[in-house]
Amino acid sequence: MSSPVTYDAIVVGSGITGGWAAKELTENGLETLLLERGRPVEHGKDYVGEHKTDWELPYRGWGDRQLYEKDYQVQSHCYAFGEDTRHFFVKDTEHPYQHDSDKPFRWIRGYHLGGRSLMWARQCYRWSDLDFEANARDGFGVDWPIRYADLAPWYHYVESFIGVSGQAEGIPQLPDGRFLPPMEMNCVEHAVRERIGAAFSGRVMTIGRTAVLTQPHRGRAACHYCGPCHRGCSSGSYFSSLSSTLPAAVATGKLTVRTHSIVQSVLYDEEKDRAVGVRVIDAVSKEAVELYARVIFLCASTLGSTQILLNSTSPRFPDGLANSSGALGHYLMDHTFQAGATAEMPGFEDQYYHGYRPNGTYLARFRNVDEPHPDFLRGYAFQGGAWREGWWRGAREPGLGAELKQALREPGPWMMNLGGFGECLPRYENYVELDHENPDAWGIPQLEVHCTWSDNEDRIRQDARETAAEMLEAAGGRDILTYDRGAPPGFCIHEMGTARMGRDPETSVLNGWNQAHDVPNLFVTDGAAMASTACQNPSVTYMALTARACGHAVAEMKRGNL
Amino acid sequence: MTRRDVLQGVAVLLGGVLSSSVAGAILGCSPRRVGSAGWRPRTLTPEQNELVATIAELILPATDTPGAREAGVNEFVDLLLTDWLDAQGRDGFLTGLAGFESACQAGTGRPFLELSHDEQMTVLVPLDEEAAELRQAARAAGLTEVDDPPFFLTMKEWTLAGYYTSEIGMTQELQHLRISGSYAGCRPLAEVGRSWA
Repeated sequence: MSSPVTYDAIVVGSGITGGWAAKELTENGLETLLLERGRPVEHGKDYVGEHKTDWELPYRGWGDRQLYEKDYQVQSHCYAFGEDTRHFFVKDTEHPYQHDSDKPFRWIRGYHLGGRSLMWARQCYRWSDLDFEANARDGFGVDWPIRYADLAPWYHYVESFIGVSGQAEGIPQLPDGRFLPPMEMNCVEHAVRERIGAAFSGRVMTIGRTAVLTQPHRGRAACHYCGPCHRGCSSGSYFSSLSSTLPAAVATGKLTVRTHSIVQSVLYDEEKDRAVGVRVIDAVSKEAVELYARVIFLCASTLGSTQILLNSTSPRFPDGLANSSGALGHYLMDHTFQAGATAEMPGFEDQYYHGYRPNGTYLARFRNVDEPHPDFLRGYAFQGGAWREGWWRGAREPGLGAELKQALREPGPWMMNLGGFGECLPRYENYVELDHENPDAWGIPQLEVHCTWSDNEDRIRQDARETAAEMLEAAGGRDILTYDRGAPPGFCIHEMGTARMGRDPETSVLNGWNQAHDVPNLFVTDGAAMASTACQNPSVTYMALTARACGHAVAEMKRGNL
Repeated sequence: MTRRDVLQGVAVLLGGVLSSSVAGAILGCSPRRVGSAGWRPRTLTPEQNELVATIAELILPATDTPGAREAGVNEFVDLLLTDWLDAQGRDGFLTGLAGFESACQAGTGRPFLELSHDEQMTVLVPLDEEAAELRQAARAAGLTEVDDPPFFLTMKEWTLAGYYTSEIGMTQELQHLRISGSYAGCRPLAEVGRSWA
């Protein structure tokens, strides 16, 4: 064995938060080791689905159904999964997990350099104090140890770096960010925005705030509007670790990237009372190696980071590292979604749009903002958009021959969708644990997930259906169809919690700096840290928390405290 | 070997008597396309392939742009039958195709391929109306799929998908840009022209 290599910092995971941690730590002068459990992905070259047309895909986009049923039973449900992106999703057969048979949980994952930052939906919404004060207000969960003022400068910092396009609206519960020019709404979206605004005071529908560049930004090109970002973008026009943070980290000369490196556990030295490194299993050879550093950042995804901590046991921490509170693994959350309404929007038949816009609309939360709703706590927002139907409508309308072909040459009716994204209460009984009876191929106990919606989430979805239909009707819609697709937890891919932040070491795992109460040189900055979910897409908040935590870690190291 | 010998040989090979149009298509003495160069169906028999290609062409015919036959819809159908469906789904489609043919013969006294174009359309119209009704009922019930769909519903869906995802369907019949370069939210339809594929 060669002598142990010690780094200043180890970052576990190369996705949205791992990339940010690598950038911040290296730019602050730390020799940083970035560990990624999956394969390397080269920016551009490995985006093998990019710019493919339907006829260039073996199944024209319908997918290799037999393969999916065999190996991708969970992943293949994801909207971003397909013939063009399958290489960015894990095989469920190779990476199994358990859940209760009556409580389905969909864990959508991509194990490769860049992680899910390659396939994410890019929506970026700041939280406000309505969100940071929510737990304290109604008593579910523990109070956030931070407020909007703590995070606002860090939102500004990360938005400035990644590039977020959007429209400033001055909505108190959805603070404006530092925006690049917004993408355009189409004719129907403009009309819906105006009509909803006129009919319902305080309800604002804006264009999606998205980490897609509408002008050149920091050496990255503006969007070329090919459409499906999640195939990867060789012009780097949307934010991913590979387009943005990792190149910055590499440029410092202080980053070492090690792929195929599965972190089995964090090493804890009882005498020093510190985390000293990680134990890594090589994904290919399955050999174990120990790697050391002064600070450890877990950015392995909500459940990935918690799995590592639960698997890091010692006499002092028999139930998982930094788990003196017993909160580790508990308070798992996800957004409840896929409930809303769709309507046909008459009156714009002579209008259309040009091009493929990788973005939709966002209608900010309006429930439990000014006055309490009688049926549920917290709130929801609507993502959606308008489009004209295409050739598929020919399947449900009678018609054959030249007449059918001529009819489908024209775009179909305008449609408008409002899909709710609702907040999920933090509850102790939604949790994960290790299944020691069922280790994976690398000898690591599988995660066993126990998670289901509560009445509050059910009522949120019900209200979202009803208000979506009301607003579409007020906006002039007809043939309104409401829906609730019964999406199980996990499927929104906004899984959060299980190593929550809090003020009290007895009830939370992390402090207000994403730093373990029990182990000060251990940081968790991904979704595991979340003490509540709000209803906004969480990634930009993870980024801001990560950058802020890195700043704190560096300052503490300089002070000699770490 | 004379052409007649060849025809008889093929007929024997296929275990039956061929209608002239099928034999013509198989032997390439008709201008009608049965597949890309070098392509051979892996699940469909040559007769079934011709029947599928014919129905598809009736649904989306050549007009001022090529139709379903030229766009290779039958190849797409054979791909789905061979690699996409499981054995049960494959059998279901082929049974439906056979049922379609026997219902046609029971109703008209002749094989579908021997009917005139107008006679063929007369067979398809009620099946198309039934399929559309089932689709609309499913949609009203909030479902994306029709339970136990009849043959023609599937055949029309596959024809639409096979055609409008083909290069012909996307670029000649509709319009498609690999990279649109920009996005304009409101533009007169007359300027944009056809539907985006």
